[in-house]
Amino acid sequence: MIQVNNLSFSYTKQPFISGMSFSVSHGEIFGFLGPSGAGKSTLQKILIGMITAYQGSAMVNGVECKKRTKDFYEDIGVDFEFSTMYEKLTAKENLQFFSSLYEKKSRSIEELLEMVGLDRDGDKRVSDYSKGMKSRLNFIKALLHDPLLLCLDEPTSGLDPTNSRMMKDMILAEKAKGKTILLTTHNMQDAAELCDRVAFIVGGKICALDSPHSLIMSKGAAAVTYTWLENGEHSANCPIDRISSDERLKGLISENRLQSIHSGEPTLNDIFMDITGRTLV
Amino acid sequence: MKPILSSFLQMLKSVKRDRMLVAACVAPLLVGIAIKYAIPFMEEILIAQTNRREILRPYYGLFDIFFSMITSAMFCFAAAMVLLEEHDDHIESYCSITPLGKTGYLISRIFLPAFAAFLMTGILLPIFHLTPLPPAMTFFFSLTGNLQGVIIALLVVTLSTNKLEGMAVTKIASVTILGALVPYFLPEPLQYTLAFLPSFWVGKSVCDQKLIYMLPAILETAIWILILLKRFRRKMP
Ligand SMILES: Nc1ncnc2c1ncn2[C@@H]1O[C@H](COP(=O)(O)OP(=O)(O)O)[C@@H](O)[C@H]1O
Ligand SMILES: [Mg+2]
Repeated sequence: MIQVNNLSFSYTKQPFISGMSFSVSHGEIFGFLGPSGAGKSTLQKILIGMITAYQGSAMVNGVECKKRTKDFYEDIGVDFEFSTMYEKLTAKENLQFFSSLYEKKSRSIEELLEMVGLDRDGDKRVSDYSKGMKSRLNFIKALLHDPLLLCLDEPTSGLDPTNSRMMKDMILAEKAKGKTILLTTHNMQDAAELCDRVAFIVGGKICALDSPHSLIMSKGAAAVTYTWLENGEHSANCPIDRISSDERLKGLISENRLQSIHSGEPTLNDIFMDITGRTLV
Repeated sequence: MKPILSSFLQMLKSVKRDRMLVAACVAPLLVGIAIKYAIPFMEEILIAQTNRREILRPYYGLFDIFFSMITSAMFCFAAAMVLLEEHDDHIESYCSITPLGKTGYLISRIFLPAFAAFLMTGILLPIFHLTPLPPAMTFFFSLTGNLQGVIIALLVVTLSTNKLEGMAVTKIASVTILGALVPYFLPEPLQYTLAFLPSFWVGKSVCDQKLIYMLPAILETAIWILILLKRFRRKMP
């Protein structure tokens, strides 16, 4: 679906996005994870043909992005970081207008509204929508023409837990329909939950690229931390797969002297810090 | 073609919802009636009062020039206002990733309104003109007048970021029309200081009764439009 080869681009004379290569296959959710300013949105703008002054190659759906024609957009749906709706018009009027820009037959507007729980708000002006409602509306706008590829820029950022949950479920539902989904986020929980693979992006470069599971595993297994009393409180760690050889832990268990015991898995956040030396904020 | 048409119709809906813009679009008709009937009437009164043979008549050509520009200026002003409002809602960003594209969007917002104005002027000018107008002149008037509107629209959208600023800039940008006055009121070598205004050449063409001056008018307009388009694209990449 997407092949990127040795891609470079900069807004200024200083190099920014440089030497990026990766590919995304059909039906995959691929995430760009990185702190703000890392170049996630810029990369996405290249892939949707908004930035054409790049070097190297970026192919989407068999088309070199800088050579896109209008047909290119019949199969791409985009949800920007910000709302892109006529604030003065109703949700339905907006969706009707945007669907009229495609040659393809539009999906049913009523059904889409119902799918995101906005069926009773379709005749309200967008300016009267809450932030959560707006992001749901912008999301279904990207689905109007039933595109093969969805590009979502920070789909969950700034949403309350309920709306964030709804958004993630909608994204997973589209994946289940066989869509390829490209999303950017600086939220590692979302990346871990949604993405089949993630690319860590910092300063315009990909620092790591793998499935969230493999990335987490790369740091080694989870560890057990336990504490006990012996002239004051002590604590120790032990990898979970070597518990049986930790004689002290075994002794403490048999003597019922453990104060506390818990296990912790490394999170994608830890991995991100490990690999890039940066936090995700 | 379908996306461009859809986008154009959407603009008409936005215009319809805004009373000021509706007024701007019917203004050419009212101005036309005023020019055709009020000006000669005033001339009669003035002549009767002052005992001079003619007062306004030597400037009738100027009225025709302004009338040839006003439809386009008004239509393009309305379009520019819609465009600025849409800019606040990030509509043009979204349109650029649909089959409409940035180019289609620009065509529907600047060039189609200008073309509509061109047709409109072609119809209204033969009705409301004050000087004898051969068809060739009508054509050039409609063309230059309407490209003048494109210049105003592009000036407005490149120099302002919202509707309020847009209205202020429209007033300033409309000054570019006044170039047409120059050949009438400034003596020969001095007047050329304002020759960079396309409207100057239109004025000169009528003032001196030489069609050939339409050539520099069109050429200069093209240069203005190209430069402004480039700036506009840089502003809304
Ligand atoms: N249109 C632009 N012109 C110049 N610089 C830009 C533009 N858009 C973004 N940038 C810069 O590029 C960098 C990356 O931005 P962006 O891709 O939006 O990051 P992210 O989406 O990862 O937060 C930032 O430093 C930003 O200031
Ligand atoms: Mg971003």
